[in-house]
Amino acid sequence: MSLAIPNGLDNTVEGAGQRAPLVLGETTYHDITEQVCGVAERKPNILWWVGFVVSFALLNWFGFCIAYLLYNGVGVWGNRNPVFWGWPIVNFVFWVGIGHAGTLISAILFLFRQEWRTSINRAAEAMTIFAVACAGTFPGIHVGRAWLAYWLAPYPSLNLWMWPQFRSPLLWDVFAVSTYGTVSLLFWYMGMVPDLATFRDRSTNKWRRMAYGVLALGWSGSSRHWSRYEKAYALLAAFAAPLVLSVHTIVSFDFAVSQVPGWHTTIFPPYFVAGAIFSGFAMVLTLMIPARTILSLEKLITIRHLENMCKIILATGSIVGLAYGTEFFIAWYGQVPAEKFAFINRALGPYWWAYWTMITCNVISPQLFWFKKLRTTPWIIVTICIFVNIGMWFERFVITITSLSRDYLPSAWAYFEPTWVDWSMLIGSFGLFFTLFLLFCRLLPIINMAETKSTLAKQYHMAHDHSHDGGHH
Amino acid sequence: MDDQNAQPSGQEQQSPDTDLQLSASAVRGVMGEYDNVDTLLAACRRIRDAGYTKTDAFTPFPVHGIDPALGIKPTALPWIALAGGVTGLLTALAMQIWMNGIDYKYIISGKPYISLPAFMPVAFELTILFASFGAFFGMWVLNRLPMYSNPIFTDPRFDRATDDKFFLYVDSKDDKFDRAAVEGIMTETGSEYIAPVVEDESPKEVPKFIFMIWALVIGLSSIPLLVVLKMRLTRSDLPRFHVFFDMDFTPSKDAQQNTTLFADARTMRPDVAGTVYRGQMDMDVLTGVDMSKLSSMDPGRADRLVALFDDVSGEEERDDAVAEKLDNGNPGGAQSDKTDGPGVPENRRNQSTGRPQSPAQDQELQKPAAIGGVDVPGADPVADQNSQTGQTDAAEDSTPWLEEIPIEVDQDLVYRGMEQFNIYCSVCHGANGGGNGLVNQRAQKILATNWVPPSSLHDPSLYADKYAQGKLFSTISNGIRKMPGYAAQIKVRDRWAIVAYVRALQASRQATEDEVPQDRRDALMQQRVEVQKRLAEEAAKEKAANEKSAGGN
Repeated sequence: MSLAIPNGLDNTVEGAGQRAPLVLGETTYHDITEQVCGVAERKPNILWWVGFVVSFALLNWFGFCIAYLLYNGVGVWGNRNPVFWGWPIVNFVFWVGIGHAGTLISAILFLFRQEWRTSINRAAEAMTIFAVACAGTFPGIHVGRAWLAYWLAPYPSLNLWMWPQFRSPLLWDVFAVSTYGTVSLLFWYMGMVPDLATFRDRSTNKWRRMAYGVLALGWSGSSRHWSRYEKAYALLAAFAAPLVLSVHTIVSFDFAVSQVPGWHTTIFPPYFVAGAIFSGFAMVLTLMIPARTILSLEKLITIRHLENMCKIILATGSIVGLAYGTEFFIAWYGQVPAEKFAFINRALGPYWWAYWTMITCNVISPQLFWFKKLRTTPWIIVTICIFVNIGMWFERFVITITSLSRDYLPSAWAYFEPTWVDWSMLIGSFGLFFTLFLLFCRLLPIINMAETKSTLAKQYHMAHDHSHDGGHH
Repeated sequence: MDDQNAQPSGQEQQSPDTDLQLSASAVRGVMGEYDNVDTLLAACRRIRDAGYTKTDAFTPFPVHGIDPALGIKPTALPWIALAGGVTGLLTALAMQIWMNGIDYKYIISGKPYISLPAFMPVAFELTILFASFGAFFGMWVLNRLPMYSNPIFTDPRFDRATDDKFFLYVDSKDDKFDRAAVEGIMTETGSEYIAPVVEDESPKEVPKFIFMIWALVIGLSSIPLLVVLKMRLTRSDLPRFHVFFDMDFTPSKDAQQNTTLFADARTMRPDVAGTVYRGQMDMDVLTGVDMSKLSSMDPGRADRLVALFDDVSGEEERDDAVAEKLDNGNPGGAQSDKTDGPGVPENRRNQSTGRPQSPAQDQELQKPAAIGGVDVPGADPVADQNSQTGQTDAAEDSTPWLEEIPIEVDQDLVYRGMEQFNIYCSVCHGANGGGNGLVNQRAQKILATNWVPPSSLHDPSLYADKYAQGKLFSTISNGIRKMPGYAAQIKVRDRWAIVAYVRALQASRQATEDEVPQDRRDALMQQRVEVQKRLAEEAAKEKAANEKSAGGN
């Protein structure tokens, strides 16, 4: 039993009377199991090892830098009066933003019944969790005395005799990011349990079977379980959808609730959320396109998946571009001298290079996706997505650094210079991210097999109906 | 519990026999394998129609339409999630109101203690968090998972239930259970493999080594906590252990303390030699005195003058020092006060040094205010006395006043000066500078005894050739006779603007046409003709009116 769809078929067009398939090739349920489990069961190839060794080395360097920072204090960063937020906060916002794509794909596209999400949602969710882990590191070590970071929690302290300040956006942020991390983790894990059961049942090695068996919680595939499972999945999607929008909104409050020129604007929440989705999708594509080639998953992650994501990047990139323009318009229209200065200073001040890098990467480069040829050619997509990632890092740099380095008091103005620790931590955080992602590729089901099989079942069903119709002619 | 019956539970009974014989009691049910969704659904409907209720199907993915086919009732999970969400919302609100509004109150930005809008973000997050916990954990609890021992797992063929095969299961506890009948239906519906589900014979106890590892991990991880607990609860004679010594004992100090960081042990550092503070280069502009000339003529006086504007730290100390310097070096200043007559505090100097200083003023601009009324830049008893009597003698005033206004004079500056003059000066000096402002008129009317009439600014002794620009600036800044200093109220640049405007006022009474720039002259003449014409017309009208009224009489 298989469905004959030739390999290499262009599934980015839908002809009249025939829907383009989401799973390509002469595929059976078992083929999907083989393809996905094969990734974890085969011995890793040389590319994986090279990537892992490099990432793991960077991760260790990251760890060393954190230890160095804790021992010496935050003075090892370039954070100086008046720029006390520096790169740690730039990196934090950058990583939190990246972490938005996964839950968006899982939750919002699920609620909109976008079935093409099924083969990419798992990896995107994993990426979300790893990105949130990277993001969480930075404010944790940025508090100065990182060993007292638990003071952020509202616990009845015997030493302090006081409570956290709930009217501060920084505390909202603690709750938002930790809730987001927790719910994303639950969502990811719950989605993975049936696939972990598949891993368990295919294991030939006793220890492997035991490890996956523990993680699969005794999942048997019972329909009575599936019934509640699907309800729980829908509920979590419904909860995660507003959550994903709230998180970057609250991150933007960190800036917007303050009085600093260039930050104190009501446009920040939607502008940050659009930017987060934009950067998150770009990062998903940056990882997914090499992974699908290296792990031979082209039949499951098809060109149509890539094209759909490019369209979302185009849409959110245009929103971000519009937001940049609106900020300038409001700065002029509002006629507040400090605001006007802040924006002119962004574009023409000492950080003009960062601003125009941002504009080039974020506003101009995604517009190339208007051309179908460009949004269906994988290497071009990867190139543009890397530009988008660079641009989104610079967006956070521009917002954080330019506004702080020149605010109301000209006598306090200064030019921010990063140190080697800043550079190391930015690069090292990529080490953490890629190490986790590569381990995930090796150890866990990187594609949601159960959902993909469910999509394939619908495809069978439609093909079946179609052949029936054909019989009558 | 809604519909959790059919799931075979291995934990309910111990396996009775250890050999491989299949006794009737060991059979927990029957399962049949199908290889596609459609045959499975058909079989499910047949089984349900036959009246079986303790049934289940095992599939690699959720099969659409199987709930009605098997008779699976809707789950109560949404209610659990709702309960979780409500709990989260109430917990968050109660927590924030208690912590910030009741138990540990503090005011932030003048907001009320219980400021609900600010509590919303956390309330939202906890609502989502608890609702998600409800959905997630509720689902596992309702499914009775995790459960690692399950009889259906005993058949190795069942491994494909998570790959590509579909299984239908009927439990032997079902009231209607008849193994032969069930197997019959399964065969008819196209099952290729039918097998009894037997008790799981494998040991159900968790292996001991897992408990040992578990205990070891718990034991090891509790050691640091126990160490902390011991440190907290017991006394020790040893000094406290400091991981980061310089964070616990920072070498930075407060003002007036001593320090080991510097050889002289002072925390308050004197200026580095050669420091030029902001604005110091503009002493000429600040004082109206040509400082380079003053330095060459009388270095001591120049230093004293600089010192008044110099010492930024220790406001009180500085004021005292200023007063002392003045007492020692300038008795004439005090003497001049006496001529002000009764009603003026005897020591006007102290009054003026104690003048409240506006925080909006720049530091440097406040300094002249601090010495206002003592005419320090003049610092010359002779000059003061002379100016009091209005008989300024340039030969006796040794101060090298600036002869030119030290900032660029243009039309905008003069208009600015007019605006400031009309605000601050015209009340006494009159809008035309003639010395008959409203205050003066009132003082004359009530015959105020202490009143010293303000000078007319059109007095030739106040013209620029006799009364230098810098001196006029100094008078505006520091006051003279009854007139207080305006340094605290008017910015430096605006005081110079007033100087420029006063000169313009003076010129307005004596300037000739030739002094008006060529391009303005025509417009000015035109204006004059119009004014004259209008005056003539008004005079004619008045005359006519007078004649008329005279004629009427």
